[in-house]
Amino acid sequence: MGTGDEEYDYLFKVVLIGDSGVGKSNLLARFTRNEFNLESKSTIGVEFATRSIKVNKKIIKAQIWDTAGQERYRAITSAYYRGAVGALLVYDIAKQLTYQNVERWLSELRDHADQNIVIMLVGNKSDLRHLRAVPADEATAFAEANNLSFIETSALDSTNVETAFENILTEIHRKVSARQMDSMDGDEIDKVCMKPIRIDATTANTNDSAAFQIKQFCCNASA
Amino acid sequence: MLELDIGKMGDHVQKYVNDNDMNLKNSFWKKNIRNLPGRASPKKESKSVSSSASTSFDDFQESVSDAWEIEAEDEILRMSEVKISKRVAHSAAVNVINNHKASIEEIHKSKNYSNSDPQGESSSQTYKESRHTENKVNFPNSEVDTNKLTKFQVLLESNLLNLEDLKKLSWSGVPVEVRPMTWRLLAGYLPTSTERRQEALDRKRIDYANLVKQYYDTDKDEAYKDTYRQIHIDIPRMSTPLFQQTTVQEMFERILFIWAIRHPASGYVQGMNDLVTPFYVIFLQEYLPIGTNIETLDVSSISKKNRDSLEADSFWCLSKFLDGIQDNYIFAQLGIQYKVNQLKELIQRIDGTLHGHLMKHGIDYLQFSFRWMNNLLTRELPLRCSIRLWDTYLAESDCFATFQLYVCAAFLLHWRQELLEKKDFQGLLIMLQNLQTQNWTDTDISLLVAEAYRLKFTFADAPNHLTTKR
Ligand SMILES: Nc1nc2c(ncn2[C@@H]2O[C@H](COP(=O)(O)OP(=O)(O)OP(=O)(O)O)[C@@H](O)[C@H]2O)c(=O)[nH]1
Ligand SMILES: [Mg+2]
Repeated sequence: MGTGDEEYDYLFKVVLIGDSGVGKSNLLARFTRNEFNLESKSTIGVEFATRSIKVNKKIIKAQIWDTAGQERYRAITSAYYRGAVGALLVYDIAKQLTYQNVERWLSELRDHADQNIVIMLVGNKSDLRHLRAVPADEATAFAEANNLSFIETSALDSTNVETAFENILTEIHRKVSARQMDSMDGDEIDKVCMKPIRIDATTANTNDSAAFQIKQFCCNASA
Repeated sequence: MLELDIGKMGDHVQKYVNDNDMNLKNSFWKKNIRNLPGRASPKKESKSVSSSASTSFDDFQESVSDAWEIEAEDEILRMSEVKISKRVAHSAAVNVINNHKASIEEIHKSKNYSNSDPQGESSSQTYKESRHTENKVNFPNSEVDTNKLTKFQVLLESNLLNLEDLKKLSWSGVPVEVRPMTWRLLAGYLPTSTERRQEALDRKRIDYANLVKQYYDTDKDEAYKDTYRQIHIDIPRMSTPLFQQTTVQEMFERILFIWAIRHPASGYVQGMNDLVTPFYVIFLQEYLPIGTNIETLDVSSISKKNRDSLEADSFWCLSKFLDGIQDNYIFAQLGIQYKVNQLKELIQRIDGTLHGHLMKHGIDYLQFSFRWMNNLLTRELPLRCSIRLWDTYLAESDCFATFQLYVCAAFLLHWRQELLEKKDFQGLLIMLQNLQTQNWTDTDISLLVAEAYRLKFTFADAPNHLTTKR
């Protein structure tokens, strides 16, 4: 687990959302610790982990917030959407209901998250082929219609877990860089790399941890 | 020993804990506990006599002497041999205890968490001073334990139980042998009259069987399907072999489902399954010879009748227990949000340095203490420690909702030094969500609740205290 000491170029806050039991905590455990646990306990409130990866020669530190899936917790968890630049919206390919609820999760994001947030739809438990209840092409079509990227993963056998996180972080990075391109010449891009996120941060509560960290980083970078 | 077997169920890194427990056990007997460096010494403590000891501290002493009255001697003997861990509270707690031992009234404590010190500078100083190197020992099952057990037995067998006495005696821990009956009484599940006890128990068990028939065995109402689904997702995720048994999982599902239906204002909330566990494990032990390893036990080998009783008792005690904290689980969990705010203000008053440190790095109390409150620290402690903590919670009865706030405060302050050493948000939050308690013993919990008691006494009545900005 990262402690934040190491060097990085970007810090992106990403949230994991979706119904209870779809495998959010295990996706996080697989990505950050390469672990899987059939008896991982239900998440209470939010849990937190980080990992840094390299994208386009830049070190991106992902600060990932794993939220509790039960509807009851939504009042608490939605507070954590603030300042997030990415969301993995997870359902269980073997449970139709968790897919039906994707719409509701999208509207949660619309209500509480930044409008520029990058959303990736994730169909987890792809190892459960014999129990599949949600066809992949149906989810693909839904994702396209809603302008989301889409991937199927298995936290159990690791399929696509790395790719899913890499893809969303790359996409966030691309979006961030593109917005920088709009506003300045290439040379300065690296120095003020965090600027677009600062824009996000203005929509976030000042107490928000991610926003706070990003601002700090900016100061360091320009010093 | 039974305690150790329970330890094997510890939530935290089971395997690792076991090994460590064994090490602790083995090494303990070699130590001369009387010569431990850093062992609490009443004389040393009395040097810190301060003429400025506040009136409120005298009151505190008085009230504490009351709380410890009955078991004072036993407890003192136990506690004076207690390990001095790297904890914030220990010197204060041990101080309290030693003061009783010595019965010296002029022993006052210099640690005056002055209310006129909003920055908490003086208190943080105190905390620094109270750090010693860690000397972990367990105490043996000695004469004092037998003594305490006898006191319990006398109380429990008296014709008309004095519940207040039982609470006082239980507050500092209940011996394993009498825990099941003591918990039933503390929870208010059974009457104080010995005569009516068995009859009440029989009736309650029949009542529960009827509830099962009424709500569970029939087709489940459409409205309850969501509840059932959620419980059904959570139960199989309970770790350790005991809870992987179908028989056990079905019992948990019935307990939680029926509780949820009968409490529509809150319904089932994820994490409640952890609150059944202490009751379940304690009542389960009643049907086993002391020393049985419950982890390797096949629960279906227990007779159906006994299993039903175990389930009913767990259900009723859980119900009584949750009655005091229902607002934790209503919509939006307002009770918890409120308590998280209270915790924040409390820490700000007690230890401005730590509070400032957390704030500076963008830590929000909700991020770590929500789970502490929602699960009453069960997720943060090994099961054997949760059970010991339950002794105190149950002995606090009506006031336990408030008391838990102070337990959380004491728990946070326990980690103060390590927290202050973390210099960034991520290090802090990761530490706060993974506090290393796997080696904790009953003694750590005794110190924790003693410190919580002290904090409650010192801060509960202070002016401006807990006036939440909302
Ligand atoms: N077969 C299979 N099982 C999985 C996979 N991912 C998770 N699981 C299992 O699904 C169950 C739920 O996983 P969690 O990761 O705890 O689910 P969650 O989404 O975090 O649930 P909440 O914390 O309640 O919101 C566990 O028993 C996991 O072992 C997967 O890829 N394949
Ligand atoms: Mg989870």
